[in-house]
Amino acid sequence: MKRVLARTIYTVIVLALSSVAVFYAIRLSGGDAVAARVPASASAEEREAVREQLGLNDPFHEQYFDYMGRLFSGDLGNSLTNNADISKLLTEHGRNSLILGVAAFVLVFGVGIPLGMLASLRRNSWWDGGIMTFSVAGMAVPNFWLALLAVWLFASVLGWLPSAGCCGPKQLVLPAVVLAMEGMALTVRMTRSAMLENLNQDFVRTLRSGGLSESKVIGRHVFRNALVPIVSLAGLRIGQIVGYALVVETIFGWPGLGQVLVNAVLRRDYPVAQFFSLVLITIVLLSNWLADVGYTVVNPRLRRS
Amino acid sequence: MTTVTDHGGGPSGGDQPVTGPLLSIEGLRTMVRSRGESFDVVRGLSLDIYPNEVLCLVGESGCGKSITALSIMRLLPTPPVRVREGKIRFRGEDLLSVSGRRMRSIRADSISMIFQDPLTSLDPVFTVGDVIVEVIRAHRDVSKGEARRLAGDALAEVGLPDPISRLDSYPHQLSGGMRQRVMIAMALVLDPDILIADEPTTALDVTVQAQILDQLVTEQRERHMAMLLITHDLAVVAAVADRVAVMYAGEIVEQAPADELFEDPRHPYTQGLLRALPKVSTTRQRLDPIPGLVPSLQMMPPGCAFAPRCPHALDRCWIEEPELRADQDGRVFRCFNPQPFAV
Repeated sequence: MKRVLARTIYTVIVLALSSVAVFYAIRLSGGDAVAARVPASASAEEREAVREQLGLNDPFHEQYFDYMGRLFSGDLGNSLTNNADISKLLTEHGRNSLILGVAAFVLVFGVGIPLGMLASLRRNSWWDGGIMTFSVAGMAVPNFWLALLAVWLFASVLGWLPSAGCCGPKQLVLPAVVLAMEGMALTVRMTRSAMLENLNQDFVRTLRSGGLSESKVIGRHVFRNALVPIVSLAGLRIGQIVGYALVVETIFGWPGLGQVLVNAVLRRDYPVAQFFSLVLITIVLLSNWLADVGYTVVNPRLRRS
Repeated sequence: MTTVTDHGGGPSGGDQPVTGPLLSIEGLRTMVRSRGESFDVVRGLSLDIYPNEVLCLVGESGCGKSITALSIMRLLPTPPVRVREGKIRFRGEDLLSVSGRRMRSIRADSISMIFQDPLTSLDPVFTVGDVIVEVIRAHRDVSKGEARRLAGDALAEVGLPDPISRLDSYPHQLSGGMRQRVMIAMALVLDPDILIADEPTTALDVTVQAQILDQLVTEQRERHMAMLLITHDLAVVAAVADRVAVMYAGEIVEQAPADELFEDPRHPYTQGLLRALPKVSTTRQRLDPIPGLVPSLQMMPPGCAFAPRCPHALDRCWIEEPELRADQDGRVFRCFNPQPFAV
């Protein structure tokens, strides 16, 4: 319990610090926030008036506390560029991102763990060699290149899948696979090595001496022990998915949070960029927090008796 | 104390035992293959275990004691270790040729084993109750509740305080002695005919060692089971053994009822072991070790394995290997030139 509490406090502190960092970083990055809001013909005075009206001339810390105050009172604000309601952006695009993220998460663990187990149980076989080669390739190939390659092969050459779009199952396949690839490759390797390590533990011999079947010994006991490091790094995998979503959503034209954020940053749309950065940071921190709590659940040695 | 003393001679000589052996190892050869070369670590071992006896298998580290035990259980780490030759008969079946399924049904139910290090020998992410329940249900068609009750009884039987709540403990929540009691409970819960205990007290504190040993002997008596106790500790042997088999470099060099072996060892290696024991006396004495080293199993000398360290080796000992057989007194050992034991 103490451990969970400590992790929670830590999470809140990191969130507060990153909100400051995000707020300053986007203002220091140059560019003109009012460019998209006023006609190109607007005079310098007119631009200055809009800037004044939006409070962009106030000192940074005043802007920050002003913004955070409104955020906590539930007012997410509107886009500077098209006045869109940010809470509406969140529900629409959030839903799309959730679909893509969950699909990628399922692939990372639902495919990564079974492949890793297969490789460990058929050690040094063709299966093992094939799976490990796939895994090395999955880690080595950058996802933006993999995305282009996948579009070229499956959309242009074979014509099996659409190259972009939203949000049916057919459009989901390529972005989900590309998004999941690196995490899947890492999970395969980790599962394999954790299984092999635990297969050599003394307790495996004890369980066999108790007359348990191999499926029980390996499928239940060795697997549960191997799960400890895998679960403990599940949070990192979620973080990876969130980070890569910016790239993958943009390439595949998947209208999710990542795409909104990338566009907002390019247009210096401060309220949108700030808010969605904070949303993604919160997701990453929450998943790390969850992984930590999950680690305590799968590893009884960390629980207090 | 020694309930069964009459079969020191084993199958080949001495007094005929009243009943036949429960488990009979014949000509066991277990080999290791490492980096392309292979060699035997158990070199033609024959040994009988009789009902209701405590048989101690003694020898120094690396002589093949544990490998022998794991060969019986068919739990060798294969590869690189595997049985190359021999038979292990248990109730008319050769354990080395029965199916994997049959062997699993024999483990824990008929032949159980406990291991040296109780910390690493228990699954860290399952409660001890879970694992004992699983062992019971692998062999008996009982409900989870019933299995749990049996598991609780087994923990109570081996003297674990507060056994019912201990069912929900994880191994890391228990002390070394308690863990070993859990191991014993798990090994005995199905009432096996033979318990193989591989250095069960080596990893424990001295005070706990005595308690665990006591527990094992109590269980062996009450259940009338046979126990193969593997140890390098002659004090343990003296305390509990009915019969002793001394192992050296992968083979048995002498076997005898415990009292005969300690009073009158015949093989020069056994004599050396007993001479090397520290003695309680008024004057301080130097220990008397056996000179030399155990020969490398990769390069065994052609004759007697002990010849290079033997004070009485004859020319013949370097060329020809003596067989394990009984002399005119019915004593069984492997030596061409036995000498009377002198301290």
